[in-house]
Amino acid sequence: MGRVAIEDGYFTIPDDPSERPRLLGSRCPACGEHFFPRRLVCARCLHEGTDDVLLGPGGRLHTWTYVRVPLFAKKDGSVGAYGVGQVDLPEGPRVQAILVGGPDDFEIGMALELDLETLRTDDTGDEVVIFRFRPETP
Amino acid sequence: MRIDGVAVAGVGMVRFARYPDRSTAVLARDAGLAALHDAGITLAEVDEAFVGYLQPATMLGVKAMKELGLTGLPVTHVEAASATGLVTFREAAWAVASGRAEVAMAIAFDKMSDMARGGRGSRGTGRDELDSTILPAAYFALWAQRRMHDHGTTPAHFAAIAAKSWNHGALNPLSNRQPDHTVTVEEVLASRVVAEPLTAMMACPADDGAACAIVASTEWVRRHQPDRRLVRPIASALQSETYAPGHTFLGPVVGPASMTATTARLAYEDAGVGPADIHLALCHDAFANEELEYYELLGFCAVGEGEKLLEAGETALGGRIPFNTDGGLIARGHPGGPTGLAMVHEIVVQLRGEAGARQVDGARRGLAHLVGGGSVCTVNLFEAD
Repeated sequence: MGRVAIEDGYFTIPDDPSERPRLLGSRCPACGEHFFPRRLVCARCLHEGTDDVLLGPGGRLHTWTYVRVPLFAKKDGSVGAYGVGQVDLPEGPRVQAILVGGPDDFEIGMALELDLETLRTDDTGDEVVIFRFRPETP
Repeated sequence: MRIDGVAVAGVGMVRFARYPDRSTAVLARDAGLAALHDAGITLAEVDEAFVGYLQPATMLGVKAMKELGLTGLPVTHVEAASATGLVTFREAAWAVASGRAEVAMAIAFDKMSDMARGGRGSRGTGRDELDSTILPAAYFALWAQRRMHDHGTTPAHFAAIAAKSWNHGALNPLSNRQPDHTVTVEEVLASRVVAEPLTAMMACPADDGAACAIVASTEWVRRHQPDRRLVRPIASALQSETYAPGHTFLGPVVGPASMTATTARLAYEDAGVGPADIHLALCHDAFANEELEYYELLGFCAVGEGEKLLEAGETALGGRIPFNTDGGLIARGHPGGPTGLAMVHEIVVQLRGEAGARQVDGARRGLAHLVGGGSVCTVNLFEAD
């Protein structure tokens, strides 16, 4: 039994649970712009071919909300409410993701760290995980 | 794109509501017939049709058109998420402006009540599943929270916009929501929280409906409707996202808010008019806080001045630039595809001077704006004689 990503190519899943996960991004060799998720063509200068890089793992909260009525796709089957935010990575990309915590835990500008959450267990017994951000632990 | 030599020949719509017992083809038929009656013609005189819908199914458009007749006319499907209706109109107007059609129809329909019930299954798997984590309500709540942080906006501002839309809806027989009392800021704030700070009454309903607009050459409309005030589309701008540093690729419902400013600028330049020349505006107010942003992005006030414009009553009926006079997405409704054609309907009725209790005095130019997931933005300008 291990941990598998809900979709390959978006984040790392360290074998050592104490090690922090990272987002998988791209860097344009021509203009230096960073992207998440990975892409082939640079969105800034249209250069074809980017380098794979690791992004984060931390970021700053640009904006947030707390969803109390999840009508559409619900990532946390059992959870009725959850935080959502946009997080500015130090390399530049702004990432939209689920936040860990309650509505009183979030403040624009605060430091966040990447985290993994188990969504479900698949047919082979592996845990299917997705990334999210949580307030940085001091 | 500037549009020359095109006028609106007819508009029609089915009031947006929940229609569990009526198919989309029947909704489309009734909207199409209403527009044909308004134009005084049958499908025999329509050279080309553009059909829009978001339903996860192919061929629906061509099938729905058969309810209006089988005349062999070319039928093209158009899909641009929430902006679909306005893009069908743009294509119909261009078909006439280009000379390839003398009369063209834009028609759209949807049952958002079905799509909202579809849940995760209708939103794909893999990257699509990752991409759809965030609900529209949550996404626009992210805008609202940032706005409050940057400009000191309060939830009461958003509630004031929603209350205004509900109360405009009460004056429109074709509005889904028609409150029997004056909706107050307190009432909107007291409705259940959907995604902080947005409440249920600040959000559009998930409803069903259809709408249709028929355009023709200016000469054709003058010849067939000599006694009616001519309403012409004069510009249509359509944009997809432009990259800027900090762009968010995964998850957002629509692109950066700046898309609206860019698209509006194109439309104003093409038409040779500015915000001061516009007498009413309809915008993508799926959530009330969007409207506040668009006051600024559409150029009706400076950045950071939207709250003042609202507080002065300038964006309500009777103000300098009334917004969403038919109730907007929040009250009139937002089935998806047909939403933009309901906007065209309202602007045409207003510019003809036939809007009754919600008539904007002396209205000669109107603006219709939508954003759509994916994402796109469109701004369309209309002018009356």
